Amino acid sequence: MSVAVQPEKILRELRELWDELGRAEETPGGVLRACAMTLLVAAEEQGEAEQVRKTLGVLMHDHPSRAIVLRSQEGSGVEARVFAECWMPFGRHQQICAEGIEITAGGAELSEVVHVLLPLMVPDLPVVLWCRGGRAFTDPAIEALFPLADKIIFDSAAASDAKAALQLLRSLRARGRRVADLTWTRLTGWREVLSQLFDDGVLDPDAVASVRIVHGGSGASTCALYLTKWIEQGLPGARVMVESASDEPGIRAITLLGGSAEVSIRRTGPSCVEARAGGRSYRTPLPPVTEEALMREELSILGPDSVFDRVLA
Amino acid sequence: MNVANPFADPLRFDRRVPECTVVIFGANGDLTKRKLMPALYRLAYERRLPASFAILGNSRTPLSDDAFRDKMHEAVKRFLEDSPFDEDIWTSFARNLYFTAGDLNDPELFSKIGAKLGELCRPNVLYYLSTQPSYYGTVVDGLGAAGIGESRPGGWRRIVIEKPFGHDLESARELDTRIHKVFPEEEVYRIDHYLGKEAVQNILAFRFGNGIFEPLWNRRYVNHVQITASESIGVEGRGAYYQEAGALRDMIQNHLLQVMATVAMEPSAVFEPDAVRDERAKLLRSIKIMKPEEVPLHAVAGQYRGFRQEPGVDAASQTDTFTAATFYVDNWRWAGVPFYVRSGKRMPKRTTDIAIQFNTAPHALFASQDGGPPTRPNLLILRIQPEEGISLRFMSKQPGSGMRLRPVSMDFNYGSSFGERSPSAYETLLVDAMVGDATLYTRQDMVEASWRAVQPVLDDWASRRFDFPNYEPGSWGPAEADAMLARNGHRWRNS
Repeated sequence: MSVAVQPEKILRELRELWDELGRAEETPGGVLRACAMTLLVAAEEQGEAEQVRKTLGVLMHDHPSRAIVLRSQEGSGVEARVFAECWMPFGRHQQICAEGIEITAGGAELSEVVHVLLPLMVPDLPVVLWCRGGRAFTDPAIEALFPLADKIIFDSAAASDAKAALQLLRSLRARGRRVADLTWTRLTGWREVLSQLFDDGVLDPDAVASVRIVHGGSGASTCALYLTKWIEQGLPGARVMVESASDEPGIRAITLLGGSAEVSIRRTGPSCVEARAGGRSYRTPLPPVTEEALMREELSILGPDSVFDRVLA
Repeated sequence: MNVANPFADPLRFDRRVPECTVVIFGANGDLTKRKLMPALYRLAYERRLPASFAILGNSRTPLSDDAFRDKMHEAVKRFLEDSPFDEDIWTSFARNLYFTAGDLNDPELFSKIGAKLGELCRPNVLYYLSTQPSYYGTVVDGLGAAGIGESRPGGWRRIVIEKPFGHDLESARELDTRIHKVFPEEEVYRIDHYLGKEAVQNILAFRFGNGIFEPLWNRRYVNHVQITASESIGVEGRGAYYQEAGALRDMIQNHLLQVMATVAMEPSAVFEPDAVRDERAKLLRSIKIMKPEEVPLHAVAGQYRGFRQEPGVDAASQTDTFTAATFYVDNWRWAGVPFYVRSGKRMPKRTTDIAIQFNTAPHALFASQDGGPPTRPNLLILRIQPEEGISLRFMSKQPGSGMRLRPVSMDFNYGSSFGERSPSAYETLLVDAMVGDATLYTRQDMVEASWRAVQPVLDDWASRRFDFPNYEPGSWGPAEADAMLARNGHRWRNS
């Protein structure tokens, strides 16, 4: 179903889609439309379409929204199609559906598409912009979308220049925009395990003299930078060192030293970490996080995130 | 060490429990296997238990720690819902499971438990009574005599008591007196797992987090309220227990009156445990106590055909497997509004919901064209299980010429709007007890008020002989329940 990109036409197409869904034989109980926000997705190339669709399909169950996917495709004109993501909750006889619009545009036309988006936003609900991939850090056409959103989600791990990516996030935050970075979200599990050591009183924060972070992969990652800053802010008296290891990318271990005490958290498997403290050790799950899980976490935080804001500052 | 955690991030990290030993009495029982242990494992999986968390099980059957771990391993694998089972995490979790066998009547058992607690050396202890109710007093006495019931500096001792809390008003008071000899009220957690359900908590959010419903929430606009908790199954091997309890004691006195209190209570000034519980208690105390002559008009007992043939059930049993009752609330907001409450087994389906029926429009502007009522009252349905959510039924014009109205439903489905896995009621309530949040637990004055509300019915039924069975399995209960509503011009919402 393709239409020229005129908002009224797209909205009409959406209405027809709902009528069609309501009449479908397999949904005698009708369909339930669910919408909690507008989720704008600035995707990269054509090849990503399948992955984006898959991620949205999962996300819709948790955060039903009107998804508007913007894809750039060189050489194509501007095209739009509407779609619905439906699912049948367990034990129910009524389908739940959320709606979507996919807009494809050549690079040059992408900036014009921005003007089409305003009437397509669901009124009175928050707008979240998800800048998927690294293009958002360099493409002015995507920058033009920033003012439309209540929250902008980036992934600095995809940026070719990590420092420049952080700079962009900081400047947006300084201008009052609410931003998130999936690279920070990936750290939630590690941060929670570390935080729990202090909940349990295993260590006195004032007694920690040094912290060693080991991360895999080459080069300075924003992930290690974020973690370092967060720990420095929590333990201002401690020296924080970062070491890289020839291992898979991501945090591999955190060790805290204070007096004679040593506490460590280290990855022992793809989905588990082991914490050792005071002669005791225990394992706790820390499975690799999927894109859907990261987005789910961020979409559930639409208000201020003071901890991330402090780390980003 | 009591220092603020510099790494707290409440927005992203779940609430976590303090270092603690949970002592489960009745650890070989069904509740432990089906609910408690899966909930505790799930909390460990979600990283909400500290590494030093310990569980000490007790039952009469002698078991080694390892044998207990094996049993619980099997139970958690079997009864864990909506969650993956991870052997690595289980191994770590199971290391902190211990077992002490012993008879609850034997004072030696409590000395052994005391010694084990000393060995485990966790500062806090939560005792969980998952035994037969007749042992509650015995356990509390044993804990008191062994000197392991009292909180001490740097560590609390709490007790969680499963329903039923007594079997009538008098026994509830007796039990309470016995408990308070050992535990102060603030360390007593009377569990009503209905209050831990997300959908029941959502009633408070719905009522007090929105501005548009509360102005309608009173006698001027609400015609009546129906609260239904039906089960399609029978007593499923619990015949002996159920025969002593019955639907009125098993469901209405506790779960459904608590739900009714949540629906009808006044807003509290702050969302704090005692403030919320004060309001619930106030509502329960406002329930009009039936006079003896009113009981036959306001309460209906039922028993399904086949109950007397269930194992462990007396062939002439007078137990109610179905109860319907009409309650009135004597306060300014609800005066004259009937609250119809019913619960039964072997009914057409398993459902728990609350239907708030509003008054019809005061003037019938739209004439009926098909002989039916011109308009139907608005209906707000708060669904507790199995599909948590809220529906609002209102009238809409049918497309086409003329002005024909038909009811349509606007649905909010809890699961579809918040697809995240909801914690089970037991996960929520266990964490609450361990962090000292009693908001979702009942208090003695609430327990007594709800016994007081049903006591006239219990007294009346104890002196009568019913002509049971009086309803067929798979039906919505005896005809008298329909007649009870019909006398007020109402009918059950059977769907």
